[in-house]
Amino acid sequence: MPEGKFCNKKPVDTAEGITQLLSDTSGNTYYKEMKELTVDSDLLWKTIQNTCKSRIRTWLEICAHCGMCAESCFLYQVNGRDPKQVPAYKIQSTLGKIIQKKGKVDNAFMRHAMEVAWSQCTCCNRCGMYCPHGIDTGIMFGYLRGLLYQQGFVPWELKIGAGMHRVYNAQMDVTDADFVDTFEWMVEEYEEDYPGLTVPVDKEGADIMYTVNAREVKHYPEDLAEAAVLFHMAGENWTVPSKGWEETSLAMFAGDWAACKIQVESVYAAMERLKPKRMIGTECGHAHRATVIEGPYWAGRKDGLPPVESIHYVEWLAEALNTGKLKIDPSKRIKELVTLQDSCNYIRNQGLKQATRDIMKHIVEPGYFVEMSPNKEHNYCCGGGGGFNGIGLYRKQRNIALIKKRDQILATGAKLVLAPCHNCWDAIRDLEEEYDIGIRWSFLKPVIIKMLDIPDHLKPEE
Amino acid sequence: MFKKILFATSATAASDHAARVAFNIARSYQSALNIFHVLGVPSRGYSQVVVDVKTKERVDVDEDYLAWVNEDIKTYYAKYLDERLHYTIDVAVGLPAREILRQAKKLTPDLIVIGGSTGDEDETVYKKSSAGTTLQKVAKASHCPVLVVNRPAASFWGGLSNIVFGTDFSKTSEKAFDFAMKVAKALDCEMHVFHALDISPLHGGRMLSQDEIEQQIREATRKIRALYGARLKELSHYSMDVWEGIPYVEIVKYARDKHADLLIMAHHSRKLPSQDIRMGGNVEQVIVRAGCPVISINK
Amino acid sequence: MHDLLTGVFFWIALGVCLIGMLARFIMYFRGLSWQLDRVAYTSHPAAGVKGAVRSIYKWLIPFGTYGWRTQPFIAVAFFGFHIGAVLLPFFLLGHTLFLKEKLGISFISLNATVADGLAWAAVISAFFLVLRRLVLPEVRIMTTLQDYFILLISIAPFATGLLARYEIGNYSFWLNMHIFCGELLLIAIPFTKLSHVFLFFASRAQLGMDFGIKRGGMKGTKMAW
Ligand code: HEM
Ligand code: HEM
Ligand code: SF4
Ligand code: SF4
Ligand code: SF4
Repeated sequence: MPEGKFCNKKPVDTAEGITQLLSDTSGNTYYKEMKELTVDSDLLWKTIQNTCKSRIRTWLEICAHCGMCAESCFLYQVNGRDPKQVPAYKIQSTLGKIIQKKGKVDNAFMRHAMEVAWSQCTCCNRCGMYCPHGIDTGIMFGYLRGLLYQQGFVPWELKIGAGMHRVYNAQMDVTDADFVDTFEWMVEEYEEDYPGLTVPVDKEGADIMYTVNAREVKHYPEDLAEAAVLFHMAGENWTVPSKGWEETSLAMFAGDWAACKIQVESVYAAMERLKPKRMIGTECGHAHRATVIEGPYWAGRKDGLPPVESIHYVEWLAEALNTGKLKIDPSKRIKELVTLQDSCNYIRNQGLKQATRDIMKHIVEPGYFVEMSPNKEHNYCCGGGGGFNGIGLYRKQRNIALIKKRDQILATGAKLVLAPCHNCWDAIRDLEEEYDIGIRWSFLKPVIIKMLDIPDHLKPEE
Repeated sequence: MFKKILFATSATAASDHAARVAFNIARSYQSALNIFHVLGVPSRGYSQVVVDVKTKERVDVDEDYLAWVNEDIKTYYAKYLDERLHYTIDVAVGLPAREILRQAKKLTPDLIVIGGSTGDEDETVYKKSSAGTTLQKVAKASHCPVLVVNRPAASFWGGLSNIVFGTDFSKTSEKAFDFAMKVAKALDCEMHVFHALDISPLHGGRMLSQDEIEQQIREATRKIRALYGARLKELSHYSMDVWEGIPYVEIVKYARDKHADLLIMAHHSRKLPSQDIRMGGNVEQVIVRAGCPVISINK
Repeated sequence: MHDLLTGVFFWIALGVCLIGMLARFIMYFRGLSWQLDRVAYTSHPAAGVKGAVRSIYKWLIPFGTYGWRTQPFIAVAFFGFHIGAVLLPFFLLGHTLFLKEKLGISFISLNATVADGLAWAAVISAFFLVLRRLVLPEVRIMTTLQDYFILLISIAPFATGLLARYEIGNYSFWLNMHIFCGELLLIAIPFTKLSHVFLFFASRAQLGMDFGIKRGGMKGTKMAW
């Protein structure tokens, strides 16, 4: 039985397919079937020849095997400095081997490669900063994931996640109608406290088009209301698209490049339809990476830029606070030690370190903000990036991965962690659950709403 | 009156008192009862894994599991369920308050019944990150009256015959009064309108003299008459009183004095209780202490 | 023998090395793909060049990057070896004379003491590079025979050159050996990992362009290498 009922080389692209795959509890049968899955070596080799060009080949070739990248990888550090966790070793023994053998690898090898690709690398790209040759192992793992996905060797949850994007243009089974309904519902709920609060749907030519993470719609809709409140308070002319509102991409974690393209094009179509001046995405790291940083390339945009200027939520917040569009009541600033999680996806990968620090300056009483060490683009991954958070099969490994962030947070002495990234937020929540270090964590929106200095004309009457 | 009731339950002992009330009302007034259980909070990022509030285990939520939980609830409430009761069971995943509100939006019930600590025995780390309790959030945002049963003493066996309506003369109280009247008329109850004069120095900023207190009591009594007197005449039995003290204590005392089997109050959405106090506002305090079910009205 | 080595063989070695390097350099850049690499190289040339230059020069400065600073041991060994390996072939007195005679290009020559120092530093550093490979588990696990072979042919010209220099044993034997090893090294450059001699610049430039264009450069953030 080479192609399984659940585990096969075909992406899921129907709602029934997703339901069916979901019915296989924990992917038990899926992983059983994976043991029988054949490797299509010809396809693998042909794909490599077409897509593995000089950059990656040169990286693999000139790697000095010097091990300078070892210490840079948090997974190496927290796994007892196991030499098998050295970034260069991880990639040479997987992608390197596949290429060396011209794709002629067996099932057991592919399953091993899958484990390495999804449980020994979060694609945080930190090692790339420490390699003298400029070899970015995280990028190569991203590429390897694509090869593995094509052959059907992908963790169950991510196959589902990529399928969701194909079917719903969202990472979860949230339809366009659900999105608009939920947003409107939440705004209605908050309207009493914030008179005049609305959610302008599909307004053309607005200054801002806002996009979100489907999880907010499904489980944390307060986040939508909070976004609306802050735009409202800042007096922004904003809108949300009724279609193309999902900024995230589990397809990117899964290595399903075709789904990545489908997903990001749905957002770009919204931009082209509504012609906003700017697009702003929610407090999510990988969503920004998928839609703003990598997305243009999947969509084939030669200038590497989205159709309209697209910025991360923290950039907008910093701008709104710096220009006084949003005012903070100084007496309500945070007056306890607080630290900040730098999300790899927009700090290391787009250099937005200043924006979050500007925000901290506005919302934290001087002297109470403690940086993690290291920080900014040298910060460590939260431990749950690249899809790691959601993969049941590798939960144990993920929990070990959290240790680095736990120790970094403990070293700051802060009990409050601001994490403007969904994935980081999740990982930090999980690390509290797992290690019970007595911290609280939060996105920026709720924290800022509580300390706003609301102009009189926007206050509720009474 | 109560055609559709949404009963939000943890399906554990914590909701038992609320269950008794919910099933009683449903049976007495032939309501369609929706038994709604939020089985747990999503965990593990985007995956299907949920921490079950009852078993505290991480589970994969799929059709089988949902069916199993459904069955479990049926067994738990077996003694109440028979063919004369129109009930449905729904199970959802998410943060309890949000999912209860979502269900309420879908079903538009006439009443939400909720146990005082529904969902709050969920000791996961979620609690620390989400401000306020399930109860506070539901009471604040619900479009329909929310009936809360917190203490065992607060559950009742018979029908409703004695209603205490606590007013603070606000706009929302006006709505709460309309609702209280509707209930009283439909169920032929006695109604006791009550206002508690807040004399704690914390609120006024200073101690009131006894003369001042009595002066204010007279004013309040006059206000009650003016506001509610005419309409109260539609009922066969009613009374009006003003007591002074700490409002929530007085209301609870008053309700006990009147053998109330239902307390109706307005919920002040604006004055969101400060986050540090778990049960901060007046209504919340009453809920915690009252010896009978409390209905909080917001909109 | 000497004539052969300094004649035909020298020309062959030099030719193979230079043509090989050039060909591979061109192949490298032709093999870059804006879409597969996800870097819009040609759309933003200025940002790209800025990023590339920073990415290279920061790493050429001893202790100029976090990477070098956090790992001082290998940093010292690396620069100890590489300064000699890069400067000596061009600027050693014996070499400048030879190059002047053969190619007609004259480089300034290094002072003999400095040259000796660099040569010794290179040999000693190379020894530590080998030692690292044998001792550190995170390096040992990746080390292949090729890595030792590369080190061997990289050290050989130094070792033989020094033997000739101090006339230990037969001078002309060691000199011939030296020239032979040097030529072997030249030939090995385009075909082995030694291609890093020039591909280092290509690879660093590529990552630099990535950061300069897509990963923050165009947002005004310079990568803190
Ligand atoms: C401008 C020219 C060069 C640059 C930028 C350069 C750069 C590098 C880098 C970045 C490494 C890897 C880091 C490390 O091992 O510490 C390396 C390793 C190495 N290089 Fe070079 N290199 C250059 C020229 C040379 C030359 C001319 C030789 C030979 C004579 C050479 C021989 C080696 C060897 C043997 C290693 C491996 C070291 C080890 O085993 O750890 N390199 N080089
Ligand atoms: C390929 C052609 C080469 C030729 C024809 C050549 C020739 C020479 C000559 C004539 C000497 C002088 C020996 C003396 O002191 O009398 C010398 C010394 C030396 N060469 Fe080369 N060489 C070549 C390649 C290399 C390479 C590739 C390296 C190193 C990467 C190298 C490193 C040295 C060293 C370290 C010395 C001794 C320096 C000292 O301490 O004086 N040579 N070479
Ligand atoms: S630091 Fe770079 S060259 Fe050295 S082993 Fe790691 S990837 Fe290879
Ligand atoms: S990208 Fe991050 S997780 Fe992956 S090998 Fe490099 S440092 Fe480790
Ligand atoms: S979850 Fe946050 S810290 Fe972790 S890899 Fe993603 S962006 Fe980086």
